[in-house]
Amino acid sequence: MALPKAVTVPLMLGTCVPCLKQGAAKFRVKRLELDTNIHMYFANLDYVYAHDPQKLCKTGDLVLIEKLPNKLTRLITHRVKEVVCPLGDITDPLTGKKVVAGNFGGEYRDHIKAVSKIYGEKATAFNYKNAPPRGWQEDKKDFSHVDTYVKYHETGEPQPYSV
Amino acid sequence: MYSAKIPCLSRISSNEKTCSLLLRRFAFKSDLKIKWVRPEKISCIRPEKSGDIEGLPRINKTQLAPKFSNSKELETADETVKKLFTLEFAPRKDTNEFIYNSIMDKVKQHNFDVSSAEVKIAKWTGKIRAMQEVMERFPRNLKSKVTLKELIERRKKHLKWLRERDYKRFEWLLENLNVVYKPNPAVICKPTRKDSLRKLTAKYCEDIKQQRLDNYQAFLKSEQPAFLEEKMRMLAFIKEEQKECDVEVTVTDAEIEDIRKQLDELKKKEDHSDQM
Repeated sequence: MALPKAVTVPLMLGTCVPCLKQGAAKFRVKRLELDTNIHMYFANLDYVYAHDPQKLCKTGDLVLIEKLPNKLTRLITHRVKEVVCPLGDITDPLTGKKVVAGNFGGEYRDHIKAVSKIYGEKATAFNYKNAPPRGWQEDKKDFSHVDTYVKYHETGEPQPYSV
Repeated sequence: MYSAKIPCLSRISSNEKTCSLLLRRFAFKSDLKIKWVRPEKISCIRPEKSGDIEGLPRINKTQLAPKFSNSKELETADETVKKLFTLEFAPRKDTNEFIYNSIMDKVKQHNFDVSSAEVKIAKWTGKIRAMQEVMERFPRNLKSKVTLKELIERRKKHLKWLRERDYKRFEWLLENLNVVYKPNPAVICKPTRKDSLRKLTAKYCEDIKQQRLDNYQAFLKSEQPAFLEEKMRMLAFIKEEQKECDVEVTVTDAEIEDIRKQLDELKKKEDHSDQM
């Protein structure tokens, strides 16, 4: 069963991927496609651009995107409606508490803190309250928000995005 | 001789350009003066590749080795004996252990924390830096090279997981350990002359396009005041004409006033930029 084109779908969940365009974000949308011959579903990946002037979403976020009534440009067909799940900042939907994900379902942040309090928490330990919002290491020590590439030319200048 | 007999060859000889185009269908050479410099290969175990900004910390070697630090006998011992048990005379293994512990202490949640992701990563960071120093002196030690590469990759994998699970902690750890995290590129292949020249040519074309667009934008901006003045004059003229001809007046005073405001703002901006 052929899927409808991703740009025509009115509402989708997409994962934000690195993008050079200003005022827009690129999303990877995963949909399951039925192979009628063997009655099995296979993942189908599509890439969609969405209008995001306020820069709501960052790389890796799970975002709800909505189709625009008219195309903004040749590429931008959708707009960002809501950031459903920011990367690395997970909330348990049942209790509403913050979670650190892990192999066995993860742990509540409160629980981790309680354990370290019993053992004697260190003053230098990481504290969520004092931590700045995500993105303060962008272009300094964290380069996961860009598409890196293998260095192919020596310009004499530093190329921070090359590997 | 042959060109006179074969019509197509005679045509080719008449025009050298066409000839070169027709005959040279392989190894097309661009006229652009782009010089490609092949980047020097950097070993995968070097700090530039592993992302370690700093090396091993310099430590005070006059302090006791960690395994003798709690000894009661040494408290009352002679100075010379004490000196023999300091890090200066201890094997390298002990010094390294001391360094690993000091790096781990920076990121520990509590004193008994040995298994959290950040402590593991800190421990591997210490090991990587110590091994990188050794590999500088013994670059042919392949067993160590393999171990080091595996360590670097394991640390990278765990950093990737930490990023997905707890982003704030991940950034804090990068800052504390002085490590740079770069995800793997989508395509990993050795740079080739052909591919690199293609990329450089595309970049060259893109730059030209951008430069021309910028120039055109600057030109339009320089034309803007004259255009606005002309527009204002024309609107005033149309308004008067409409009044004289007893037709419905479509031009409002507010419209003309808006244009005057725009013009004033533009002039102010120009004056400000001149003063700067």
